[in-house]
Amino acid sequence: MEGLFDYAPAIALFPLVAFVVALAFGNSLPKKGAIPGILATGGSLLLSIAMLAAVASGEVYHETLYEWAIGDAVSDTGVDGVEFTFGILIDPLSALMLVIVSLIAFLVHVFSLGYMNAEGETGLPRYYAGLGLFTFSMLAFVYADNLLMAFMFFELVGLCSFLLIGFWFRTRSAPSAAKKAFLVTRFGDYFFLIGVVAIAATFGTLQFAGDDSFVAAAETAIADGTTLFGFAPETWVTITGLLVLGGVVGKSAQFPLHTWLPDAMEGPTTVSALIHAATMVAAGVYLVARMFGYYALSPTALAIIAFVGGFTALFAATMGVVKDDIKQVLAYSTISQYGYMMLGLGVGGYVAGVFHLMNHAFFKALLFLGAGSVIVLMHHEQDMWKMGGLKEKAPVTYWTFLAGALALAGIIPFSGFWSKDEILYDALIVGLEEPIILAAYAMGLVAVFFTGFYTFRMVFLTFHGEPRSEAAEDPHPVGWSIKAPLIVLGVLALVAGVANLAPVAKLAQLDITFLESWLDGEFGAIEGLTYGAYGELLAYETSYIGTESTTVLIAAGVSLLLAFSGAGVAWTLYNVPEPVEHKERLGSIGKTVEDNYYQDEYQVWLAEGLTLPLSRAADRFDQTVVDGVVNGVSTASLFGSDRMKRLQTGIVTNYAALLVTGFIALLLVLGILGGWF
Amino acid sequence: MTVPIEYYVLLSMALFCIGLFGILTRRNALMFLMSVELMLNAANINLIAFAFYHGNLTGQVFALFTMALAAAEVAVGLGIILVLYRNFRDVDVTVPTTMRW
Amino acid sequence: MMIETLIAVALIGALVTFVAPNRIAGKLAFLISLVPAGLSLWMFATFDGRGNALLEGDLAFESRLEWIQLGAYDISWFVGLDGISMPLVVLTTILVTLAIVSSWTPIDDRESQFYGLVLFIEANLIGVFAALDFFVWFIFWEAVLIPMYLLIGIWGGPRRKYAAIKFFVYTNVASLVMFGAVIALVFGLGDAVTSFALPEITAAMLDGGPDGFFGVAGPTLASAVFVATFVGFAVKVPVVPFHTWLPDAHVEAPTPASVLLAGVLLKMGTYALLRFNFTMFPTEIVEPFVVPIAVVAVISVIYGAMLALAQTDLKRIVAYSSVSSMGYVILGLIAYTHFGVGGATFQMVSHGLISGLMFMAVGVIYNATHTRMVTDMSGMADRMPIAVGIFVAGSFGYMGLPLMSGFAAEYFIFFGSFGADFPYAPVFTALAMFGIVVVAGYLLYAMQRAIFGPYSLETDYEVSRAPLHDVAPMFVLLGLIIVLGVAPELIFEMIHDAVDPIVDGGEL
Repeated sequence: MEGLFDYAPAIALFPLVAFVVALAFGNSLPKKGAIPGILATGGSLLLSIAMLAAVASGEVYHETLYEWAIGDAVSDTGVDGVEFTFGILIDPLSALMLVIVSLIAFLVHVFSLGYMNAEGETGLPRYYAGLGLFTFSMLAFVYADNLLMAFMFFELVGLCSFLLIGFWFRTRSAPSAAKKAFLVTRFGDYFFLIGVVAIAATFGTLQFAGDDSFVAAAETAIADGTTLFGFAPETWVTITGLLVLGGVVGKSAQFPLHTWLPDAMEGPTTVSALIHAATMVAAGVYLVARMFGYYALSPTALAIIAFVGGFTALFAATMGVVKDDIKQVLAYSTISQYGYMMLGLGVGGYVAGVFHLMNHAFFKALLFLGAGSVIVLMHHEQDMWKMGGLKEKAPVTYWTFLAGALALAGIIPFSGFWSKDEILYDALIVGLEEPIILAAYAMGLVAVFFTGFYTFRMVFLTFHGEPRSEAAEDPHPVGWSIKAPLIVLGVLALVAGVANLAPVAKLAQLDITFLESWLDGEFGAIEGLTYGAYGELLAYETSYIGTESTTVLIAAGVSLLLAFSGAGVAWTLYNVPEPVEHKERLGSIGKTVEDNYYQDEYQVWLAEGLTLPLSRAADRFDQTVVDGVVNGVSTASLFGSDRMKRLQTGIVTNYAALLVTGFIALLLVLGILGGWF
Repeated sequence: MTVPIEYYVLLSMALFCIGLFGILTRRNALMFLMSVELMLNAANINLIAFAFYHGNLTGQVFALFTMALAAAEVAVGLGIILVLYRNFRDVDVTVPTTMRW
Repeated sequence: MMIETLIAVALIGALVTFVAPNRIAGKLAFLISLVPAGLSLWMFATFDGRGNALLEGDLAFESRLEWIQLGAYDISWFVGLDGISMPLVVLTTILVTLAIVSSWTPIDDRESQFYGLVLFIEANLIGVFAALDFFVWFIFWEAVLIPMYLLIGIWGGPRRKYAAIKFFVYTNVASLVMFGAVIALVFGLGDAVTSFALPEITAAMLDGGPDGFFGVAGPTLASAVFVATFVGFAVKVPVVPFHTWLPDAHVEAPTPASVLLAGVLLKMGTYALLRFNFTMFPTEIVEPFVVPIAVVAVISVIYGAMLALAQTDLKRIVAYSSVSSMGYVILGLIAYTHFGVGGATFQMVSHGLISGLMFMAVGVIYNATHTRMVTDMSGMADRMPIAVGIFVAGSFGYMGLPLMSGFAAEYFIFFGSFGADFPYAPVFTALAMFGIVVVAGYLLYAMQRAIFGPYSLETDYEVSRAPLHDVAPMFVLLGLIIVLGVAPELIFEMIHDAVDPIVDGGEL
């Protein structure tokens, strides 16, 4: 199996080739660049599956492949010489993520044939080039073996996101949304970059794995009590961890940097599915999982992650309740679901977080692609109030969408239930000891109700009832390239939960938690990057309500009950032939929620109301004061010389007289100074 | 029996002062030119006198240069004066003040 | 004799172009400029220098000829390259070639003189980077100003005279301050130096410094000279608050002159800062000034970026962003770490490429629209997709997108200065890093308004795709930017080698 890993770089390079081909020759290719994209992502998918199989057979891969920059620098811990490298780290976590990313990229490419090509869009080479570059960056990010490489590709996926959100650049809104997305995530990445620089300067290494990793170095520093940059080691680890978290919050759209994601829905729906739901947004959470060992060293950072996650889960879910645009509902649900993952990771539920990451990737890609299919059916109408009754007319879309919705709402036995339940369970057992985690848990729990509600509100409004517009009565047909990815993802949304049936395992004492064993390195893993190793680092205490089994049952029961009641409320309100809006019943709260708690307003104000006027003031200051001084010097010298030139009368005699007087004065001065007199 | 150096210096000083006086008081350009020549020759006297005093020829060579220079200067100066006269119908140096700035 | 050949080819080329007919001047200048470009690339490939030119390193392509004896001092024609100057020479020759090609469209008046002056600048720029004798260096340094003054003053925009005079006088006064300071320093060093050769001055400086001069004590003199040279070079860089000539010069200059101005002329300032202030002076002299300079650097970064945000003229935006980018260089230089100083040098090259690209892109848009005002146009991507695509790529390069050279440079600088020894280095670094957010802000804001959105144009011109010879130089630059971003070691190894002795206090 050794030889197989030599092909690992190709996983990322295939899509890069597709990017180049699409950009250079896209216009003259059949399907405008889709074919190379599909081939490349297909190739990546096959290779990723091979990697997964290799990891399952006990192999791991950790190689430095390319030296980006080398130099002398002494780190704060005394490591001499720093190398910034590109390398590949394939362990259970990254192998899993590789498969997820390449699978969804592949399906989205196929789906695009129906969604973009068949709809006669222009600029398709640009679109496929963007997808190719994105897939390349994302895959490279996933198997990056150090933090700098991760950061670099993290930024590159941001670029791709910008380019693809702004795909329809001839409109006003798309470029604005693209700008916002890049800028808000850049703001997060600013902290991330400080974190990278700080970690590099502190430990002299940015490796994720191995003895020379910064995680190991941080552990040593904490054990030795080394002062780092004038701080206690724990404090410094917390500070740097939180700085890196800035990037995570930005990219995974966590509060308060979540505002870009709903706007990002301006991009093509396929892009929303691939980038803004299933993969790129996952990059943040994945990064936390990737360097989980580092966060495990800092209980403060973990608690903050958990709390931000729980808060975001609830916060975004409430906003999803009042949206009319099908993509907007999905956007807020995405933010909310990533909140769950952060909650899971923050409470030490590494497996639960990754499990939800995987399930969410499947069902959210499914939902977005389903929404894309709905949009095609509806002749590019996105307002759910103009839909209705699509159930009979588009059965494939309906049933697959329903599978995704059930998973999203967390209804047993769909995949979302298992992972969400595990997160909440992990949060609960920690929360019984730590009040702040309990608060995060409570928020996550309440969010379950809202999730159930908005999910089924969306399903009922879109598919049930009577058609509420001409487009809904006469939907545009969809082709196989749209249906096939939906079916694949629909099946995954249904069965992916089997990977880790933790509650069943705990209740029935069965060893069927495959994902947990997978991440714990039972098949093969790199030392220190396993669930077990992280568990030892964690400082959390746990306790149960009664026994473990009763806690499992209570946690699952409560969340299931809430999900059902949310769905039930949606049923009574919207599963009627002629549903009506109920927003006005919410009163002023509804208004606040509809305006997204004025989050956009204050951030736009920060940019346009504060920074822009400030820069204009700086410009005025620069033009008047700074440049004024420069021009003043020139004015003063011009004025002075204007006065001086009056000496020049034009009469030669005067000059001669001046000359003589000057000479005599000079003589006198020299004479007096020289002591002649 | 040689004349002491002081007498030469006094002579050249007197000549120089005459020239200077001419420049400071006259308004006629031709008189100007003559005064300048006087001053130049005052310098020449000095050069030659000191050359004789020191016993080398450098000063005399320099005096020759000065004379050549003076000739050139007169040529240029007279040319200027002619142009002045053509433009102003006068050779008064206080008239053409418009060329200053 | 390689450097002499480079300079001679450019000089003779300048003369030939000057007398050539206008019709063929552009093509002729391009062909001539290929010679130094090719030659310098060959020199780059065979470069065998080691260490720092001023600190007893082995020079590549060294040559030294006695020229004049001035009192107790020898002035000699002394040129040579080390790992710092080699990349800058290559940058110069490549940018000049590309700038010539990019002027084919906009320059339609007195072409032979224009291209002659561009080649003349090239000769002097190479001289600045190669000369190692203070006098020879200073002659080249000053001689750069004249052609640039003429380029702005003759081929510039409506306020060209104001801009040209401001540029010339401002930078010239600064040179005077610097010149006086260095001469005072040399005299202050007394018998320790017998020539104006920079390595000798450096050796004397590090070995005790000046004895004193006109009753001023040695260390005081050294400190005063440090400040004077810093101010002198800071104008050229430019560092806030000495930056106001730059936007005026850029806005009025024709595109190729802007390319050279931003791409290479600004690097003269930072190059000289590195050579003089941060190589010659021992740490004791520099130390008290480090924190003030760090403050100035951070202000340059943030204030320059804020000013760029307020502009509506594309050229002004790029001009102010240069102020901001040069702030990073200053930050890297004062860090006094391998990555800090090395990153600063890398940033000189990288910023030369990126700002050159940006000015070319703005120029191509201007050629088509005859306006640079963001408010006058919208949706340019619709009409000139390739040129605009490159503009977008260049903008992202400016923002420090990874795998482009700007990121490598900025990362090296940030990493170098974060771990630097001066007080509050991490805080200064973090503050300066906020520039990467503001730069994204103003470039994205400008792009959103000018490039995206529905197509509209206030001026009455029909916009069509740019001709190949306008776009080709930008592709070359973009290619170089990406190559340096993916493989910074191509030049960073060389830079690193030359920078190490500075940081290690002269040890090889």
